[in-house]
Amino acid sequence: MEAESTTAGRAGEHTENALLGWILVVGLTLVGYLLLSLGASAGGPAWPRHAFLVLGAAGVIAYGLWVFPHFRRLERRLPEGQAGWEKQEAELLVAFEQLGAGDLVRALEHTRDLPERLAKISEAASEALSKLAQQIQDSSIQVASAADAVNEIAAELASGSSEQAASVVEITAAMEELARTASQIAENASRQAALASQAEASGEAGSAAVYEAVAGVEEVQKRISAIANRADALGTRSKEIYRVLDLITEIAQETHILSLNAAIEAAAAGADGRRFSVVAEEVRHLAQRSQESVESVRNLLDEFSSSIRATIVATEEGSKEASRVLERARVAAAAIEELRQASGDTSRVAQQISLATQQQNSASDEVVMTLREVSLVVQRMTGGLKNLSSTADRLNTLGLEIQLLAQSFHLESPRSLKHLVEGWAKQLEQVAETTERERILDELVRNAPFVELGYLMGLDGSTQVLSFNQDLLNERQRALAAEVRKTDVRTRPWFKAVARHWRTTLIPPYESMQNSEACFTVCTPLRNGDGSTSAVLGIDINVTGWTRI
Amino acid sequence: MDDSLETTRREGTHLLVRAGEYACALPLAAVRRVVRALTVHPLPGAEGELEGLAEFGGEPLPVLNLARLVNAPPGANPAYPVTVVAWAGPAAARETIGLSADAALEVVHVPVDAVVAGDGGLLLGEAPVGGEVIRVLNLEALGREA
Repeated sequence: MEAESTTAGRAGEHTENALLGWILVVGLTLVGYLLLSLGASAGGPAWPRHAFLVLGAAGVIAYGLWVFPHFRRLERRLPEGQAGWEKQEAELLVAFEQLGAGDLVRALEHTRDLPERLAKISEAASEALSKLAQQIQDSSIQVASAADAVNEIAAELASGSSEQAASVVEITAAMEELARTASQIAENASRQAALASQAEASGEAGSAAVYEAVAGVEEVQKRISAIANRADALGTRSKEIYRVLDLITEIAQETHILSLNAAIEAAAAGADGRRFSVVAEEVRHLAQRSQESVESVRNLLDEFSSSIRATIVATEEGSKEASRVLERARVAAAAIEELRQASGDTSRVAQQISLATQQQNSASDEVVMTLREVSLVVQRMTGGLKNLSSTADRLNTLGLEIQLLAQSFHLESPRSLKHLVEGWAKQLEQVAETTERERILDELVRNAPFVELGYLMGLDGSTQVLSFNQDLLNERQRALAAEVRKTDVRTRPWFKAVARHWRTTLIPPYESMQNSEACFTVCTPLRNGDGSTSAVLGIDINVTGWTRI
Repeated sequence: MDDSLETTRREGTHLLVRAGEYACALPLAAVRRVVRALTVHPLPGAEGELEGLAEFGGEPLPVLNLARLVNAPPGANPAYPVTVVAWAGPAAARETIGLSADAALEVVHVPVDAVVAGDGGLLLGEAPVGGEVIRVLNLEALGREA
């Protein structure tokens, strides 16, 4: 009523203003006519003032006929328009209020009754803001995920760098040991080269000695061969002597037989042959002595021949032994020559080894220097990676904070937690039985892997329904969570935050009582059919699980 | 000739030869010649002491193995075997034969009284000569036994 009276008062005021405007037009016309009349008395023509007067009168009449009734009509419609404007203003205020609370969905609902253009502008602005918030939500999740990934990678890299640094230190120690070993090898190789040179010189001397021995043995063999030839010649001569002895023996036998025949003839001659028989007997004795001498000579010759044969055998054995010695000496000479060449090769190789190991030593020193530099770089890199890890932590925290800020907007998006919890609340509002609500909440929690805990609290601070995520909470943690039944939730900050305006609220992260991990709470009031609040639905969201989602 | 034989027998001059392991004394009067072992051509069907025929002075000469005649054990391999050309058989019908021996040793004197009588045949007896017992042969009995 007060508003209507105010509106009527404002309409009369407009009519008066229109009347005053008409009077003002009449007055201005008359003032113009008087001024023109004063100008005409000075000798000017009179028709301009008559024309001004006619035009002024026409204007006054026209104003009276057209403007004034129009004002009268406007004045009659003004209260209705004023009420419409006030309603739209109220809707706009509510919409801005919802917008200020971050509830873009309800803000958009309140702009539908605004004038079409304003509604479109508001809807476009809400949509733009919604898109922006949604994009911020998505980006913040990606930033948090990326930061988490960077953190993990940085941690792995830092761990790897630490291992790498340790490995580099070990490699450096190994290279230093290698360098020391290379020095020892170079020293040993030098000694070996010197020894090999000595061995080569000794081999040359030994080879010369063996060659001399070979020459000596060859000479001995020649001598032995000459002795053998001589002995062979003596053997041949002995055979000739045997033949001569045989001949002498034969002659002696013939003489013997002749003497016997002479004795026979002498006996046949009787007394006349007695002297002849004496001669025959002497001849027989001579033949016998000759034969005995021949036998002596033969015996001596046998001994001589035996000695010669023994000499020949000995010389042959000596020659064979000399040949064997010569062969062995040649083999020994060849072996010594090979040994000398091997010693020479060994000496050269040892020198090359010494040179190579010296170069290796230098290279090892350079590698050690380089590895020390690498170790420093790796240590710096490890430090940098740790800084990167902490930076990623901060980035993760910032991403989470941005995410929470973005989640303060209620968007028409499945990623909007306020939208999610209000959707759950609508499903729970459909049923009144607690068991049915518990079943619905259990199912909702089971299908949301990032929700640790879902609960429905009465306005009296009692716990009506409590649902656990079996994957995130073990039995002990669930028992801890069940402790909430013993408390009055009205004293809890989140309940107070919801009860402040009875609208969906997001509580900043805190450490979970159940598993000591970071989590945050989103809670919303449940409405009765008349719009009054009946209970409060809350969900505890695991930060790690949420960022993974 | 008969006189000389008798003389020889009396005087006891013998030609000592070796036949196997025996030393045999042949009466020097019965010995015509000592030659190196003649080449003997065995006679078909001949056996016993007859070795065969040899050629001596253009005539065939039956050669007997002296060692077999006196049943001497075989001795060492002879270095200079000889054939003794001698008369055999009784003085009235004596024949020239050859006796193959291992060696002709010497002419020895065997006193008759030193001879211990033998079998009365070829072996006249045995007598010690130079520390060795020799067998004194009677070549006249050879013709009779043959």
